[in-house]
Amino acid sequence: MAVDRRKVAVFGAAFVLRLLLICLFPSLPDLLTGRVEVSTPVNSFKRLQEGLYLYTRNVSPYDGGVFHQAPLLLPLFSLLPDVNSNPIPTAIFYFLVDLVNAHALATISESGQSVQSRLHSAMRKHIRWDGTSVAAWFLFNPFTIATCLARSTSVFTTSGILLAVSNAVSGNTLNAMLALGLASYLSMYPALLFVPLALLCYDQRAQKSAQAPSSGLFILQHGAILSGSIAGLLGLSILITGNFWEFMSATYGFHLLVPDLTPNVGLWWYFFIEMFDSFREFFLGVFWLHLASYVGGLTARLRRQPLFIITSLLGVFAVFKPYPSISDASLYFALLPLYRHLFPLMRYTFFAISALLYSSLLGPAFYHLWIYAGSGNANFFYAITLVWSLGLSILLADSIFAALRDEWEQDHPERKGQEVKQV
Amino acid sequence: MALKSAIRNLRNNPQLLFVRLPNILSFLCIVVGVVWLLLLPLNDYSRQTYISENALLPGQVHAYFTGSEQNIFRGYKKEIQALIQEGPAGLKVATQKYEYTSAGIGYQGENVYGIIHAPRGDATEAIVLVAAWKTADDELNLNGVTLALTLARYFKRWSLWSKDIIFVFPPDSKTGTQAWIDAYHDLHPATVQPLPLKSGALQGALVIEYPFENHFHTLHIVYDGVNGQLPNLDLFNTAVAIAGGQMGIGANLQEMWKHDDSYQDRLKTILRGMTKQGLGYATGAHSSFMPYHIDAITLQPKGEGWEDEMALGRTIESLCRSLNNLLEHLHQSFFFYLLMQSNRFVSIGTYLPSAMLIAGNFTIMAIALWMRTGYYSDSKPGVSAGSDTPKSKSEKPSGTVTEKEVTESKLNGSTVAERVLALPLTLVSGLHLIGLVPLWIFNTIFHQYFTAATYIFVGVDVVLPLILAALLSNGLGISRPIVPQQYLLIKSFALLLLGLSLSTLATLNFSLSFMIGLLCAPLTFITRIQGAAAVRYPISVLGLALLNLLSPPAVLIGVCWYTGVPIETVLTQAAFGWDVWGMWTQVVVWCVWWPAWLIGCVLLGSSMF
Repeated sequence: MAVDRRKVAVFGAAFVLRLLLICLFPSLPDLLTGRVEVSTPVNSFKRLQEGLYLYTRNVSPYDGGVFHQAPLLLPLFSLLPDVNSNPIPTAIFYFLVDLVNAHALATISESGQSVQSRLHSAMRKHIRWDGTSVAAWFLFNPFTIATCLARSTSVFTTSGILLAVSNAVSGNTLNAMLALGLASYLSMYPALLFVPLALLCYDQRAQKSAQAPSSGLFILQHGAILSGSIAGLLGLSILITGNFWEFMSATYGFHLLVPDLTPNVGLWWYFFIEMFDSFREFFLGVFWLHLASYVGGLTARLRRQPLFIITSLLGVFAVFKPYPSISDASLYFALLPLYRHLFPLMRYTFFAISALLYSSLLGPAFYHLWIYAGSGNANFFYAITLVWSLGLSILLADSIFAALRDEWEQDHPERKGQEVKQV
Repeated sequence: MALKSAIRNLRNNPQLLFVRLPNILSFLCIVVGVVWLLLLPLNDYSRQTYISENALLPGQVHAYFTGSEQNIFRGYKKEIQALIQEGPAGLKVATQKYEYTSAGIGYQGENVYGIIHAPRGDATEAIVLVAAWKTADDELNLNGVTLALTLARYFKRWSLWSKDIIFVFPPDSKTGTQAWIDAYHDLHPATVQPLPLKSGALQGALVIEYPFENHFHTLHIVYDGVNGQLPNLDLFNTAVAIAGGQMGIGANLQEMWKHDDSYQDRLKTILRGMTKQGLGYATGAHSSFMPYHIDAITLQPKGEGWEDEMALGRTIESLCRSLNNLLEHLHQSFFFYLLMQSNRFVSIGTYLPSAMLIAGNFTIMAIALWMRTGYYSDSKPGVSAGSDTPKSKSEKPSGTVTEKEVTESKLNGSTVAERVLALPLTLVSGLHLIGLVPLWIFNTIFHQYFTAATYIFVGVDVVLPLILAALLSNGLGISRPIVPQQYLLIKSFALLLLGLSLSTLATLNFSLSFMIGLLCAPLTFITRIQGAAAVRYPISVLGLALLNLLSPPAVLIGVCWYTGVPIETVLTQAAFGWDVWGMWTQVVVWCVWWPAWLIGCVLLGSSMF
């Protein structure tokens, strides 16, 4: 296999940059681990350490109500040396996971699935970044670097999702489902990606084989594989924790019922702090339904571009998840460059990116004013999380607009380049 | 109708829309921002101060600190004069040794402090009274220390305290309180000893400075904290209300001894306050308390008058009684304000727009430049088309040529042109990272080299932009030379980042953001000059010379020359602030101002190559 020198350079540079950062600023990882923008109750490395401490002393890791992550992470991390005395191996492990993610992203990009799929062929195919550039955008994105240095466990979910997609575009549908099973097992919400991912797998299969398999049977089959893989992982978890219901309620119950309202960059915490308790269940249902409803709508409307559905859904999750962090945004930003050909059609990129930049600077400043200086209050930080979500939603809506416009131009070649008018 | 046709005109005239209009708007923003600040001292824009926290009840208590206490005061004074340092009898007393090193100078000392446990409290809250042996001006604070000791003895006898009172006697006003307060919160460095004795959460701190013998006339209240953080306005108001209302002592601020409440004096007070806030250094022993969200002020008796130490003692007693009344931490009143007189202020809502407008001017220009690079290619036709992603050309050489031509002709019409982002992004982020180098140098080297380093840096600032500009124009050694669109993008990103940082900074330290914004204002209007060499060279050389006068080290030298303070003193103080106080003014200078300035110079310098 010929080694791509550019790719090696990018991956090497990303690795060295991360290593330099932790060597020059040894307190940086701990600082980032404590930031609410990076670490949420469901991906915090600090909480993982707590769970690990209990686990290695043969106490149930969920005792004490601090740890809410999947139990399979515990044996994995107990293999690594103690992070307080020797932080480098853990850090390097995270760097490698980042590189694996970047590699999966490069594979996705090189498959060309984003511009040319079974049912769709983009109008501006020539405007495209190659896999290495897309991987570089991911690896040198400050949000990715921050997530990686903060040792947030979201990177494993990211790996699951990216590996699932990269396997799907290469036609390994079984591996794709297994990877999605891992991601769903770790964070639950990736299970919502099943339908678009199955469609992506189906398109791949249909393209390769002479006659398309029956779609209903195909989806059923893959649904069974996904459920099987999740069930297998859950079975392993029982071996580790012993008490099935305790771990289910501490992990997935925690995701579903949102009992911890620590501030984060999302929209849920403030809303549920303000809410009267009697309405809590109702609005939990509404919020989850709202999040899940995007799957159906986007899948139906963008059926021809399953990979774009996945990208957009990840953007939706980054805004509307119960415990979002910047790692979710970084995953969305990682997949967005695959749609480089849509950028010329997008109208508000600069404003959306400015809003995101403003909020990523003002967010920590306002959090400081609220928590440390005491001269601000919770509304300061909440206002900035609104701006952040607004920036992401503008970007999301704009990219969906661009994708629809692209489809429309394909259907109506004679109308290409004409201005859109709202009727 | 007139408006409609004006808008239509604008759309048909891209030169006006993308080049002239943003310049006008940016300039207007700066002018309005400055004028806004100048309007603040007027009665219509400022407000009378008022006590917002009702629990404070300033001046509602009778102060009993009189008469025979004066004899005690004299007695203590005599003992202190004989240099016997002992806490007053009956208090829990402890000491704390500390040591700091900054810019090659060592600072060491020992704090002495004692705690009165509140008869009615549960040791969960405390008030701090500080009397440093040396005042902020390095005078012996003889009467201040004596007064604190006398008050300690006097307070001990009262049963009305519901909060502990801590008396701290640091050896100087610069390091002592910082070491003490850091250790109180267990955040001290290894060179500082931990505190053996502690009390509850600190609710407020008062610093007494009384370094002279004669009777005084007015009370000077110092309130600026590190990094421009201010104490709650209620604390300041209480001090003014008690001094003026109850004791009949006038209060001054910002060293304005003769304040006739005219526009000039108000403006002068605001500007002095802004200078201190912007520089962000500690103005007294109280400043170190501010980062821990403990409101603190220094009381300095000033002038020749008939008020004696007993009057100051009664003021402090009354202030402590007010703080003692507090049911929760001071939070009611403003934390962001500009004071223009002891009883007049402007709040953040009124003054913030001025700094935000100045920061906004950079953002406006950045947006305009971004749109200009995409929608409208000025001066050189075909620039945007020529720069259309060389990458994509090399990747897909054939097959889509006709399609591409169609798109390109479309692109030049109404839709977006392609932008080449890699080089501008790398350059702008790289130069911002390089700012860490001078930051590190100016906080690490020994103090005797500071002056030389500053002058060397002035030289570096002259040469570096030219080198960068030459490198850029020759394509950085890579085959593709830089195109004019990229210069605009570099400027756009640099200004966007500057606008972002300054508007964020305005919420933390208004004055610093305002000052840096004004110093950077020319950067909005600087571009790469095109045209005949005869015009280009003189203008760009002149522009570079003028810009170099506004570079961070040049401004430092200029200010030092104007105020007569040696450069070494300023930089030693700054390095000390960085090492001990946690001051981050330097970060803003070297990682926000300097990179933006450098990019401006590179753009101007590139017109010579």
